[in-house]
Parts: sequence; C-alpha cells; structure tokens
Amino acid sequence: MIECTHVYKKYKNGTNALYDINISVEQGEFIYIIGPTGSGKSTLIKLLDGEEVPTKGVVKVVGIDVGSLRASQVPIYRRNIGVVFQDYRLLPTKTVFENITYALEVIKMKKPQVRARAKEVMGVVGLGEKGNAFPHELSGGQQQRVAIARAIANRPKVLIADEPTGNLDPGKSDEIMALLERINKRYGTTILMVTHDLTLVNKHRKRTVVLEHGHIVADLAEGGYVRHDQ
Amino acid sequence: MISRPIKEGFRGVGRHWGMALSSAIAVTITLTIISIFLVFSWHLRVFTKNIEYSMKIAVIVDEKYENEAAEEKIRSQIEQVEGVKAVEFSSKEAEFQYYLDQYDDAAMREVMAPFGDDNPMNDAFYVEVEDGDLIEVISSQIREIDGVEKVDYGGQTTVDVVSAMETIRRVGVIFVAALSILAIFLIQNTIKLTISARQDEITIMRNVGATNGFIRAPFVWEGMIIGFLGSLLPIALTIWGYMALYQHTQGIVFSALFNLEKPIPFSLYISGILALIGIVVGYIGSWLSVTKYLRWKR
Ligand SMILES: Nc1ncnc2c1ncn2[C@@H]1O[C@H](COP(=O)(O)OP(=O)(O)OP(=O)(O)O)[C@@H](O)[C@H]1O
Ligand SMILES: [Mg+2]
Repeated sequence: MIECTHVYKKYKNGTNALYDINISVEQGEFIYIIGPTGSGKSTLIKLLDGEEVPTKGVVKVVGIDVGSLRASQVPIYRRNIGVVFQDYRLLPTKTVFENITYALEVIKMKKPQVRARAKEVMGVVGLGEKGNAFPHELSGGQQQRVAIARAIANRPKVLIADEPTGNLDPGKSDEIMALLERINKRYGTTILMVTHDLTLVNKHRKRTVVLEHGHIVADLAEGGYVRHDQ
Repeated sequence: MISRPIKEGFRGVGRHWGMALSSAIAVTITLTIISIFLVFSWHLRVFTKNIEYSMKIAVIVDEKYENEAAEEKIRSQIEQVEGVKAVEFSSKEAEFQYYLDQYDDAAMREVMAPFGDDNPMNDAFYVEVEDGDLIEVISSQIREIDGVEKVDYGGQTTVDVVSAMETIRRVGVIFVAALSILAIFLIQNTIKLTISARQDEITIMRNVGATNGFIRAPFVWEGMIIGFLGSLLPIALTIWGYMALYQHTQGIVFSALFNLEKPIPFSLYISGILALIGIVVGYIGSWLSVTKYLRWKR
C-alpha cells in the first residue's frame, strides 16, 4: 500500500532531510513514525501526499508513483488518501457538517451521497450530535475528530496523520488513538501516524519506524520504543 | 441556482469590499478615460475619412489647351496617375458661376456678373483621391502633365491637421493599453489579498484533492465581478455624457464634416465595449494572481 525505496530528500535550500528511506506498509497496517524534532517525519509525510518530490528513489502509494506525478495530477491522487494534521485545519466559518461536506463537494461528489457520507463519518467519530456546531465551539479533541471524519469521508485506502495528538492532553490522545484503531478495523484503512508521544507509542503498541537525522534507525515490528540514551 | 464559484466570487467581493471597491474604482477611472478615448478616436476616424473624402485636387487647365481634344488627353493622363479615384470636368463657365455663388449679397453678384463675358476663369478638373495621405504625391505628379497650369488642393494645413489627429489617435491607443495594464495590475493585487485571506481554505482544498481549476474559479469570478462593477459608472457616464454632448452640439462640431454619431446605438456600443474590457481586465488580473500563487504548489 505504501512503498518507499531508497528515498532521499534534499530541500532546495540544501537541507538534507531524508537519507535512503526504505519502508513497506501492507494494506490494513497501522504504523507509527517517531523521532526527535527535525528528524524528517513531516518531510516523509509530504513525500507521501505528493506535496514534495523525492530527490532520489521511488515513493509508491496505492500503486501510484507519487514523485513522478505532474502537479495537475496531484489533486486527483490525493483523493486516494486522507491527511490529518496537528492543527486540525478546519474552516472556522463552516459548521462541523459543512466542513465535512465541503471536502466531498470539492471533489464533485453528488449531493445526496455527500450528505449520507457526512452523516456516517460523524457517527464513526462520535460527533453525530455536533453537526451544527462551529469549530470554535468544540474542544481540541473534538476538532481533531472532525478533521479525521473529513479525512475518511471519501473512504481513502490510506490515512496519514502528522502528530494528530500533538495538541491534546493524554486522555484526549487516548480517545483519538481508539478512534483511529476503530477506523483501521472497520474500513481496513492503512494508517501511518507520525508522533512525538512515546507514552502513546508504548501504550498502544504497533509497528514503529524510528527516524533520526533523516535515517531510519529502527523498524520495530512489535512496537514499543525505549530511547537508547536512557 | 447560481453555481458555487460565482457565489464564492460574490462572497469574495463582499469579504474584502474595501479592496474590491478601490480596485473597482481604478477600473472605473481607467474605463472612463478609455471611454473618452473611444468616443474621441471613433469620431476622429470618421472625421479623417470625411476630410479625406472632401479633399479634391483642383487642376487648372492652361488657356492654350482649352479644347476638347487636349482636355481629353489631360483627363486620361490624370486618370492614369496611381491613387486617383475619380476625375470630374468643370468648364470655365461653371467655374465662374461657382465663383459668383460665393457672394451672399445679390447686389454684389450683379456687379460681378458682367465680368463673365470676358471670363477670367479657366477650365478645370477636380480629382478625387483614394487616400488623403497620397494627396501631395498625386498633386506633384499631375503638375508634370502637359497643359496643366496649376494644381491646388485643400492645402498643407488640412493634410497636417489630418496627420496630427492620426498621431493623437495612435498615442491614445497606447495610452489606453497602458491604463488597461495598470487596471490589471490593481485587480491582481486585490485578488492576491483575497488569496492570502483564504490561504487556509486553499490549503484545505488542496489536501482534500481539489484541482487547480476548481480552486481558481471563484477568484477568477471575483476578478470579473470587480471588473464589471467598475464598468458600471463609466457606462452611465458615457451614455449620459454622450447624450448631453449630442444635444448640446446638435450633433455637429466645428463643421458639417464633423458629425457626431447618433447616441443610440453609438453610446450603447461603447458601453458594451467598456463592460467587456472591464470583465476581461478582471479576468486577466485574477487569473494571473491565482496562477502565480498555485504555480509552485503541488
Ligand atoms: N520546506 C522546507 N525547506 C527547507 N528545509 C526544510 C523544509 N521543511 C523541513 N525542512 C528541514 O528538513 C528537516 C526535517 O524537517 P521535518 O519537518 O521533516 O522534521 P520533523 O521530524 O517533522 O520535525 P518536528 O518533529 O519538529 O515536526 C529539518 O532540518 C527542517 O529544517
Ligand atoms: Mg513535523
């Protein structure tokens, strides 16, 4: 489902962000990408969602060579994946329901289907009652649920999350984890989640890829991670 | 039902109505000036055509050649000169009558009439040319023909006036083009503001897979709406101003050569052109702005 082979990324300003990255993720897998700040986690996400192009190597997602897509093809490719960020990125002037339907209207889905999908995913994330609320009326955890609902509304095969719990307290983080696990089970969505939160990684054990200075330093199938300087 | 990009376009205008207003005003000023130039240069064209049309070369025949055979020869030689459209003969009697007719005063005409017995006039040809610019060249060629005593035309001043007006018209065209570019630039900047205000939304659209065309559409509509709004006042001014000008002058300026077009449909044509320029300027400005913003984004 996700296939990175010998991927290097050097930014235009000369910063080397990733070196020889090799990752293979099967359909339905749930994996963590962890590492200290500046280790290249977000860069990897940008390569996966087509925002950046690898300097060397091949990034394949759902069978598509993402790096070789023309700029005009990238939006169409993105319809295959859902992306969630630390800062939620909801439209403040739209209600919860509208935020979700908006994402579907943008890709020109038919009206009745849009409404049905929006209702469904609001149920999945447990916000069935909050459709008419505006983002600022919700807690951080609830806002992130809306973002997740929006990301999965188009039933993507892959869900990519860049520190989705970065702004949340441990209790709320656990709830988001539980939600992601539910989505992973229910829809068989492949999930790749970047996180800083080692407590979370150790509590909800999954395959864990560790990045440091742009290199993969560990790929632990059983999960759990102990810092080697401790 | 109005489609989404148009609705979003209007919303964009409303959201930054201050900026939208100022660039609409820029369009308004531009289009007002364009309107004046359009009206001016259109009439200049008509005027120039009229002058050129009325400019005839008077060819005075030498007394010694005043017989049918010689004059027939002169006529055919004139007709062979390139750029000559028509040649008309006028006998010395007709010439004298024309001279008499110049007097408004009947008494004066009576005093002058006897001079016709020993007619001081010569036979003449009146030559129409195809293009006013050629009048000088053609005149000098006709002057060379045997039996031609004198060649006269409206004079250098007329030619100079025509070419000066033509120059003004050309400068006007350049001026109008420069103003349009300025208006495009202003709209481009307004749309840039809307874009930066909606940056988050654009980012989100990109994340969920909206195409560039889809993202671009509302901004382009916004630009076209601003351009169109900017054209409304100039259109009103044109229709009203032109009506007033027409009524005030009775449709004639300077001389009968310079007729004003009838306000309807002329001012409506100009209005149509203004609206079109406004919309096109808005389209180009906003298109440039969005394209510039999206160019490096994947
Ligand atoms: N657009 C960019 N242009 C140039 N350099 C960049 C760019 N984005 C990131 N970098 C650099 O690439 C390296 C990796 O950055 P990245 O954002 O991938 O790290 P990260 O692991 O996500 O860090 P964090 O945990 O703080 O989010 C850093 O040195 C960063 O400064
Ligand atoms: Mg990051």
